Amino acid sequence: MVLFDDLISLEDFLKFQLLKRGAESEIRLGNFLDTKAIYKIRIKKEYMEEELDKELRYYRTKKEAKILSISFINNVNVPRIYAVYPSIGVIVMEYINGITLKDLLINSNEESLKFSYLAGRELAKIHKSGIVHNDFTTSNIIIKDQSAYIIDFGLSEYSVNIEDRAVDIHLYKRAVESTHAKISSIIFNEFLKGYIDYFGSDKGEEVIKRSKEIELRGRYVGERRTVWKP
Amino acid sequence: MLGIESTAHTFGVGIFDEKNGIIGESRKNYIPNKGGILPREVAQFFSEVAGIAVKEAINQANISIKELDGIGVALGPGMGPQLRVGASVARALSVKYNKPLIPVNHGIAHLEIARYLTKMRDPVILYVSGGNSIITTYVDGKYRIFGETLDIALGNLLDTFAREVNLGPPYIVNGNHVVDLCAEKGKFMKGFPYVVKGQDVSYSGLLTLAIKLKKQGYNLNDVCYTLREIAFSSISEVTERCVAHTNKKEIILTGGVAANKLLNEKLSKMASKQGASYMPVPFKYSGDNGVMIALTALYELKYGIKIDPEKAYINQRWRIDEVDIPWYYSMI
Repeated sequence: MVLFDDLISLEDFLKFQLLKRGAESEIRLGNFLDTKAIYKIRIKKEYMEEELDKELRYYRTKKEAKILSISFINNVNVPRIYAVYPSIGVIVMEYINGITLKDLLINSNEESLKFSYLAGRELAKIHKSGIVHNDFTTSNIIIKDQSAYIIDFGLSEYSVNIEDRAVDIHLYKRAVESTHAKISSIIFNEFLKGYIDYFGSDKGEEVIKRSKEIELRGRYVGERRTVWKP
Repeated sequence: MLGIESTAHTFGVGIFDEKNGIIGESRKNYIPNKGGILPREVAQFFSEVAGIAVKEAINQANISIKELDGIGVALGPGMGPQLRVGASVARALSVKYNKPLIPVNHGIAHLEIARYLTKMRDPVILYVSGGNSIITTYVDGKYRIFGETLDIALGNLLDTFAREVNLGPPYIVNGNHVVDLCAEKGKFMKGFPYVVKGQDVSYSGLLTLAIKLKKQGYNLNDVCYTLREIAFSSISEVTERCVAHTNKKEIILTGGVAANKLLNEKLSKMASKQGASYMPVPFKYSGDNGVMIALTALYELKYGIKIDPEKAYINQRWRIDEVDIPWYYSMI
């Protein structure tokens, strides 16, 4: 990990090819020491007090990098970190050249189901490392060389809370349901299988049970109603 | 169409005509002498002014009750005692004049009047008031709640803080909130909690700290400034996430806090960065009013949504994502 904040200028990074622009950051594809690399750049928010914006970007960049490296040490398939520059809000990491699980499932066949299983395994690894992802959707899972890689830890937190873990499962379920309505239950069941296989059935089942409870709470009242019917 | 609103501190009656728009309206606001809203007292006040308000609106519209297509009423979400007054008045009118009774969700009504007045057809809507802080947008037949406050609402944060440090009531002076006025001479302080959890915000820790700092003798102007800065920045950030995620190109701000200058500034800067257009709902209709209930009831009646007066129960916790919106693409 390189930490020469003051020697680096953001301008150079902004010349790289833009892959994606999110609410918070830009994803650019550039080079790092002759290898292709992803530059995740947290952009300045004009509508915030400068001091607040700077503090938030610094803190979030550092935290995301730390979480990525903890995941990596715990054998989760995540991009390797090449460099971190918190003061300009930049993380340089491995470029995983694959296809998102979301796109893969659109033309889904028997074979693609196993990637949902793998995604479940990866999530269990993340949770076992004491981390929750908080944006665990099919667009943040990349399939490359028959493995599932997890990206975008921008909203991640340190947590071993059942509730927080259950939210990850719930997010995945919603993502699957919204884009692959017809076969969503098959895809989701494969995912749960993967999760339990890695996490152990006791703890795994507990989290899955909670994720069902979350579904039945305030936000998803429609579903609660059907449960209430005598 | 006549609409009755009585969810919080405003008893509002509005009359909306499909051709001529807003033709009649009356509002009676309850203003406490001190402290906040006591539901029982407000309900008492409402029952005293209800008859007058209905008459005023009807007279202004220059029609007779017999000409109405129906009676719309906000059955929730809100405070029970007040809701019951509005519901009773609406049921009585409906039965006496034999008009269909239409149940309206107060939150949905805010969203519909926002779309009607801004002419934005498919927006992301930030709805911030004393009781709500919601970021919502229409997806698949319903307004989905993309993000919201996990504890207290934005308006509640500002009012409660003002009350605790003796800046109010009244909370609004010449159209400006007392916290805004106090913040004018303030500077940014470090170390306040900025809580954005995924798509949601949380304000209770911010409130507690701000009150504590005031008691410890920190400069009140600075505390106000920072409190406001953090509260508005975090809600703007969550709205930005919704816009980026849904790729929508219109943003509307509505609710009681919509008149706030700084919040407007932040959102319009954010919108231009996201390549979206931004508009707040005009002050007159950003707060609670009867017209929005009438407008929504009109939409609902077109799709045959009505309720038997004897089954028109109030629902204090009626969420906007429970309501089907079949009229979304055929707005007036």
